Amino acid sequence: MTGSIALLGQPNSGKSTIYNNLTGARQHVGNWAGKTVEKNEGSFTYNGVKYTVTDLPGSYGLSGNSDEEIITTDFIKSGKSELTVVLVDASQLERSMFMLAEFARLDKPAMLVLNMMDVAKDMGKDIDTDALAKKLGIPVLPFNATDTKDYDKLKKLIAEELKKPHKLSVKAPEGKADVKADSKAKFDWVSEILENVTRTRESVYKMSKFDRVMTRPILGKVICIAVVLLAFMVSMIVMLPFAGVGQMIPTLLHEPVDKLLTGWNVHPWIVNIFSMMIPNTLSFTISMASFVLGVNIVFGFLEETGFIARAAYQFDGLLSKLGLQGKAICPMLMGFGCTIGGACGTRVMDNWGQRMLAMSIVWAIPCASIWSIIPVVSGMFFTWWQTMLVCVGILAYVVVSMIIVSKVFGRKLAPMETRSGMIMELPPYHKAHWKHILKEAFFKAWDIFKRALGTVTLVSLIFYVLSFSRDGNVNNSLLYRVGTTIEPVTKFFGMGWQTFVAFLSGAFAKEAVLGTLNAVFMGGNSVMEAAFFSQGTSTDTALLGTAMSQAVSAAEALAFMFATTFSVPCLMALSTTYKESHSLKWTVKVALFYICNALVLSCIVYHVAELFM
Amino acid sequence: MKLTDSTADMQGRILSVGGDDHFMNRITSIGITEGTAFQTVRNDRKMPVLIYLRETLISLNRADAERIEVEAV
Repeated sequence: MTGSIALLGQPNSGKSTIYNNLTGARQHVGNWAGKTVEKNEGSFTYNGVKYTVTDLPGSYGLSGNSDEEIITTDFIKSGKSELTVVLVDASQLERSMFMLAEFARLDKPAMLVLNMMDVAKDMGKDIDTDALAKKLGIPVLPFNATDTKDYDKLKKLIAEELKKPHKLSVKAPEGKADVKADSKAKFDWVSEILENVTRTRESVYKMSKFDRVMTRPILGKVICIAVVLLAFMVSMIVMLPFAGVGQMIPTLLHEPVDKLLTGWNVHPWIVNIFSMMIPNTLSFTISMASFVLGVNIVFGFLEETGFIARAAYQFDGLLSKLGLQGKAICPMLMGFGCTIGGACGTRVMDNWGQRMLAMSIVWAIPCASIWSIIPVVSGMFFTWWQTMLVCVGILAYVVVSMIIVSKVFGRKLAPMETRSGMIMELPPYHKAHWKHILKEAFFKAWDIFKRALGTVTLVSLIFYVLSFSRDGNVNNSLLYRVGTTIEPVTKFFGMGWQTFVAFLSGAFAKEAVLGTLNAVFMGGNSVMEAAFFSQGTSTDTALLGTAMSQAVSAAEALAFMFATTFSVPCLMALSTTYKESHSLKWTVKVALFYICNALVLSCIVYHVAELFM
Repeated sequence: MKLTDSTADMQGRILSVGGDDHFMNRITSIGITEGTAFQTVRNDRKMPVLIYLRETLISLNRADAERIEVEAV
C-alpha cells in the first residue's frame, strides 16, 4: 500500500523543516520538467505504508505567473498527490492563510497544519483550532515543526485522511478579473473564517534592540560582514578535526601500499594510483565534505535565527545590480574564504535560478588559497609596492568579472521580470534548534561526500594520467607533451607551456600551483606530487623565483596570475557546485565560460603589459 | 502621501497600490492590500522601507514603496 501527499506553504512557513523531518534521508532532488525550479520528493513509512511527499516550491500565492506558482497549481490540479498538506504560520495567521484562500479554488482534498504554535502562544495569541476545523471542513493540526512528538500526530492524521479525505466545505473566495479586487476577496475570505477563531490585536510594533542595530544603514552592514567572516572561521574550526583525520589517510597509506604493490612487481603507473591518487582523493573529499558540514551548521543557524533576512535587507540594493537577492551577500563573503563554502552557502537563496547565478558569481571571488599564491608569485617578479598594485588590480577585476558573469548568465537564471525588487518579510528572531540544524547539516555533508567522491575520483584520474611520469621528470609526462605541442597557441594567450601547465593544475587545486611551478621550472618534484601532495611539498620560493624570472617575462607572470585567479575554481568547488545545483549542463557551461574568460584576460594582460614592461 | 514619505513609527493605512499585474500579485499576496493598517518601522535614505503589517515585518525596496499611497491615521 502507498499514499502520496504534497506540502504547500509560503516562504518562512517552516515547510522545509517539516519536509526534512518527515522524509529524513529518503529524498530525491531533481528539476521540474523543463523548468529551472528544484523538485524535491521524498518518502516516509508509517505503520507499514509508504507515503511519498512532494515539497511544492514556496511562493506567497498561486495567482501570479511565476514558474513556481504555475508548477504548484498544475501539480495540485493534476491530482498526482492524494492530499495537500497546507502549512500556515500561526504567529502570522491572517497573512499566511492567504495561501489557503488560493488553494480553496482548486477544490482538492486537504488538511491544514498550523505551524509555530509556540511562537503564537508566546505572542499571547489564542487560536481556536476546533472552531477553525469546523468552519473549514478539513482537519486542523496545531504544530511545532521542531517538536519531534508532533510528527507522530502529523503522520497519523495523514494516514487517516488518505483513507477518507476531506475537501474544504467552505465556499472558495469569489474570483475577480482585476488582481486588486481578487486579492481583496481572498483576504476578506480569510477574515471571515478567522472571525471567532482568533482575535487580531491591534498593537504598536516595537523593534527589538538587536533589530534596531541590525537595520542601521552602516553599522548593520558592518555587523553583517563581521558575522559572515566569523561564520567562516567557525566552519573552519568544525572542519579541522575531520579534515585532520582525512589528511592522515595519504600519510598512513602511501608507503605501505607503495611497498606492497611494488613488491608484487605491479607497474608503477598502477602503484601510484593506489598509493597516491586514491588516498589523496579520499582525503580531499573528506576535507571538502567536512567544510560543507561546517558551512551548513553555521548557515543553518544564521538562517533559522533570522540573521540572513537582515543581511538581505542590508545588501539588496547593492546586489540587485547583479540580478541577485540581498541574501547572496552571505555566500559571496564566504567565497573570499573558500569557494566550496560559497557554493554550498547559496542554500539560503530562494530559488534555483538565484542559487545557480549566485554560485556562478561566487566563482569570480578569489579564495584564500589564491590570495596565498599571488603575493608569492608576484614577489618573484615585482617589488612590494608593485605586488600591492597587482592585488588591487585583481580586486578591481573581481567586480568587473562579477558584472560580466551576471550579464552573461543573469538573463536566463534571473529573468528581468522576476527582478522587480525586494518584497520580503523579516521573520522574527527564533531560537536555533540545534538538534535539527546538526541533523540536517550532517545529512547534507554525507550526501555531498557520497556523490562528489565519484566525480572527484574521475577528474583526479584524468589529471593523474596527464601528469604521470615514471621517473618523476616532468618532461616525460603527457602534460609536458600536450603543453609543448600547443605552446604556440598558449603563447598567444600569454603563457608558455610551463605557466600553462601550472594554470591547468590550478583548476585541480589552487594549492597545487606553487608545487607545479616548482616541478616545471626546477624539476624538484613531479607535477603529480605537487597536485596530490600539495600540502606536503616544500617550495623554496627564492630559488624558484630565480629560475622563473630567467625563463618567464614579467608580462607573462602577470598574465599567468590573472589567468589563475579568474579561471574555474578548484575541482572540489566545481564538484560542490555541480552537486548543489544538480545541473551538469549549467556547471559545465559556467566552467567553460570561466576558462575562456581567463584565457582572454590573460591574453589582454600579456599584450598590454608587454607594451609597458 | 507615498510610503517613502512616511516617517518611522507612523501608524497608517494603505490607500492605493499601483503597478502591473505581476507587481500587484506579488505585493498583495504578501498582504499589502488597500485599506490595510500598517506601521512604518524604519525609513532611512537609500535603504528599503520597513513596515509592520498583518503581524509581519516587511521590507520593500524604495522603487516599489514609491508606488504605494498611504495615509496617517
